[in-house]
Amino acid sequence: MPHCIVTTTNHHCPPPITTASCYSPLLPSSSSSSSVSRFRESSIGFPTAKFHYSFRSSNSNSNRRRKVGVICMAKERRVKMVAKQIQRELSDMLLTDQVLQYAILPEAALGADRYLSSLTTISDVEVSSDLQVVKVYVSVFGDERGKEVALSGLKSKAKYVRGQLGKRMKLRLTPEIRFIEDESLERGSRVIAILDKIKSEKNTVENPLVESSDPVEDWDDEDDDDDIIYVK
Amino acid sequence: MAKAIPKKGSRGRIGSRKSIRKIPKGVINIQASFNNSIVTVTDVRGRVISWSSADTCGFKGTRKGTPFAAQTAAAIAIRVVVDQGMKRAEVMIRGLGLGRDAALRAIRRIGILLTFARDVTPMPHNGYRPQKKTCVEIKIEDISIARETREINDSMIRSNNIIMV
Repeated sequence: MPHCIVTTTNHHCPPPITTASCYSPLLPSSSSSSSVSRFRESSIGFPTAKFHYSFRSSNSNSNRRRKVGVICMAKERRVKMVAKQIQRELSDMLLTDQVLQYAILPEAALGADRYLSSLTTISDVEVSSDLQVVKVYVSVFGDERGKEVALSGLKSKAKYVRGQLGKRMKLRLTPEIRFIEDESLERGSRVIAILDKIKSEKNTVENPLVESSDPVEDWDDEDDDDDIIYVK
Repeated sequence: MAKAIPKKGSRGRIGSRKSIRKIPKGVINIQASFNNSIVTVTDVRGRVISWSSADTCGFKGTRKGTPFAAQTAAAIAIRVVVDQGMKRAEVMIRGLGLGRDAALRAIRRIGILLTFARDVTPMPHNGYRPQKKTCVEIKIEDISIARETREINDSMIRSNNIIMV
């Protein structure tokens, strides 16, 4: 991903209005970054014409805004807003759209739509800085088969989701959507379970007189007649 | 409005309703919105036994919407009921938020058997007009930056080829 686009001090004012902004936070001062760009321009013989074209700055506003921070900040916030909006739209689509629901849960089409075997949630959305690629992290609660089914269903409907997102949101270029499985919630849950176990073991070691109702032990005595969801 | 008519068995015993009842099966309602999560434990008929939310757990502001807050809320709401001896529960989930998954996992972790998990998010059969969607502007700058980055990418690739050869 290109991070270093620098405004130079050309004072052309041609019709195509293009502004460019430096992007990487590692080079705060514009002078050092401009020197880097000049070095790049000299080393790359062939496409200098293209560089010159793209670095033409038109308004005096953008010249005044040569300071790196201003353009970056606004864009960062906008990227976050777009990500949040995409998350809302996608989760809404998961709930209302028939096609998607059938892709995630095949038994929804048969009519068992309120009694779920797996629950899909969109936990996070990451948008690239040029708003072209969207990584959607999906977390599925259920057994292994449910997870596979849900994720493969979503991946097969990626193009459809992209079209629907374009209809719902006013974006100039609808980004490409990639669904990725999110295991962070599961991992966190496992870690907390281990911590709880350690804590309870410590308590039982310290207090040999165990209290009357120990829910963990009662659980073993139960019949496993309907073990629908066991997430271990 | 007429005064509430007390139910038959409860005359003069309204104060002692809070006595410990042994309920083997209950219903857990999770309302997971984007900014908060509320967990309510009721019995099968719908009478509330205990409830907790991310706000009552001490989180404030944006942290109420996080999955960790939903986990702690679920844990606190269920601790009361587990002592009373509830082993099975049906879970009804409302809303789209991060609390959906996290609270379910917390319930599972504590040791309650989930008989069913249902999604009962209220859905209108086209009723009221929905709220206007917040419009996120994409200005010309962003698109031009995108195009430039792509151009620079291509030129870099081409130039690398040239230099290496």
